[in-house]
Amino acid sequence: MASVIVNFELCGRDVEVLVQPMTTLQSVLRSQLGYTATKEGCRQGGCGSCTVLVDGEPMLSCLLPVEDVAGRRVVTLEGITPIDGLHPIQEAFLESNGFQCGYCTPGMVMVAKALLDHDPRPSREAIAGAISGNLCRCTGYQPIIDAIEKAADRLSGSGEQTGGR
Amino acid sequence: MTVTDYFLPRSLSEALDLLGARGPSLMVMAGGTVAMPLVNDGISLPTQVMGLRHAGLDELREEDGELYIGATVTLTRLLRQQALPVLSEAARNTASWSVRNMATVGGNLFTPPPGGDIAVALLALDTSVALTGPAGTRLIPLGAFYTGFMTNALQDGELLTGLRVPRVAGDTAFIKFGRKASNTPSVVTVAVRVARHDGTVTDARIALGAAGPHPLRASAAERVLAGSALGPEAIEAAAAVAAEESQPFSDGVASEWYRRKMIRLFVARALDRIWQGGEDR
Ligand SMILES: Cc1cc2nc3c(=O)[nH]c(=O)nc-3n(C[C@H](O)[C@H](O)[C@H](O)COP(=O)(O)OP(=O)(O)OC[C@H]3O[C@@H](n4cnc5c(N)ncnc54)[C@H](O)[C@@H]3O)c2cc1C
Ligand code: FES
Ligand code: FES
Repeated sequence: MASVIVNFELCGRDVEVLVQPMTTLQSVLRSQLGYTATKEGCRQGGCGSCTVLVDGEPMLSCLLPVEDVAGRRVVTLEGITPIDGLHPIQEAFLESNGFQCGYCTPGMVMVAKALLDHDPRPSREAIAGAISGNLCRCTGYQPIIDAIEKAADRLSGSGEQTGGR
Repeated sequence: MTVTDYFLPRSLSEALDLLGARGPSLMVMAGGTVAMPLVNDGISLPTQVMGLRHAGLDELREEDGELYIGATVTLTRLLRQQALPVLSEAARNTASWSVRNMATVGGNLFTPPPGGDIAVALLALDTSVALTGPAGTRLIPLGAFYTGFMTNALQDGELLTGLRVPRVAGDTAFIKFGRKASNTPSVVTVAVRVARHDGTVTDARIALGAAGPHPLRASAAERVLAGSALGPEAIEAAAAVAAEESQPFSDGVASEWYRRKMIRLFVARALDRIWQGGEDR
C-alpha cells in the first residue's frame, strides 16, 4: 500500500507528511507531528475533544482524512497559545475554573476561538449551542460558558489580536 | 488501517469514471460523519474509498423559485441559506457545529434512523433527488429514493449529485424532539406543510423521522387533513392517524411505545403551530 504525501498549513507553518491513505488528521497531528493538544476521545465524532480549525471553521480531526485538508489552513490549540503565557480564552478558562481534568479543554477552546471570531459578543445561549458537540465529563458546563463569556468581554473590550507559534 | 487507495476526484466525471472502473467495492464518502466512525471502529473495512469533498457537487442556488442543493453542500451552508427557513431550522436541529461543518445534505439521505432529520424536512417540501450515472441523470421524488432500512434507489455506478426543492404552496413547521435541547438524536422529527384556501386544506404533507425504517410520509394522515377545515378537530384526527400508520422502533433513545405517543403529540403541535399562525398565508 503506497503512502501519499500531503501538504497543508499547520498553525502558520507549511508541513508535509507522508501517510498511509486516509489517515485521520487527528492521528497525523498526535502521532506524527507531536501536536498532542488535540485529543483523542471517541473517534466517533461524538465528544469534540479532537476539534481543530480548518480555514477558521471548527471540524473534528478524528473524522477528517488528512488528504482532505491538503492545501488548507489548520489551527490547533498549539497555534493560538503564545510562546509566553496564555491566550485570553485560555486565561479565562483558568480564572473561571473552566476545567478540571482538562481533557475537553483544547476542543472547548478551539470552538470558543471560532465562535468569538464569528460573533465577538455571543449570548450564553449561543455559547451553549456552539459547545453542544463538546462533552465535558467533570467540570460541568456553567463554568465553561462563564469562561467563554469572560473571554468575549476581554477580547472585544481590548480588540486584542492574538498571536501564536 | 486497511485502506490502500483514497481517491479525491476533482470533478463529477472523474468521480463517475472511478466508480465505473472500481465497481461497488469502492466506498463513497462525502462529509464522512457517518462513514468515518465506522471505519475508525473497524466496523467498516474498506480498501478503496472515494471522498466527494472536492468533486464540485457543492453548488447551492435558487433558480425559478426552485432551490438546487448540491449533494455535498454542508449542513452549515444549509443553515445559513435564507430561501427556505424550514431547512435552516432542520439544519440547526441536526448534530453540532463541527459536525455540521463537515456533514453533507446528500449524506443525510443515507443516514439510518433515528438520523435523517434534514431528509424529513426535504420530504415535506416535495424534494426530488438527482441520481447521476454513466448514462446521465435521473430525477426521482425523495419518497421513491427510500426502498427500505438502509436501502435506496441508487444503482451501481450512480452517485447522488443534488436535490431539487420546488416552489411549493403553504405554511411549514419543523419540530425535532430529542432528549436534550440540542445535538441530540431524534425521538421523533416532524415536518409538516399545509396549503389552505378559504380555511380549507388544499394540500398537506406530514413527514416523520425516527418513525420507521427511513424518513417517511404519513400519507393516511395527510388524506385526513386534505379537504378539512384546519382546526383542533382535524389536527387531532390527523395526529392520531399518523401515530397509527407510522412504524416506530425501540433503541437507546426511546421505546417504540414512547415514540408512538410522541409522534401523535408532535404532529399535533406542528399542525397547531400552522393553525395558530393564521389563515391562508
Ligand atoms: C456527533 C454526531 C451527531 C449527529 N447528529 C445527527 C442528527 O442530529 N441528525 C441527523 O440526521 N444526523 C446526525 N448525524 C449523522 C450525520 O452527521 C448526518 O446525517 C450527515 O448529514 C451525514 O452526511 P455525511 O456527508 O457526513 O455522510 P457520509 O458519512 O459521508 O456518508 C455516509 C454514506 O452515504 C453514502 N453517500 C453519501 N453521499 C453520497 C453521494 N453523494 N452519492 C452516493 N452515496 C453517498 C455513502 O455510502 C456513505 O458511505 C450525526 C453524526 C454525528 C457524528
Ligand atoms: S475524538 Fe473526535 S469527536 Fe471524539
Ligand atoms: S475538564 Fe475533564 S472532561 Fe472537561
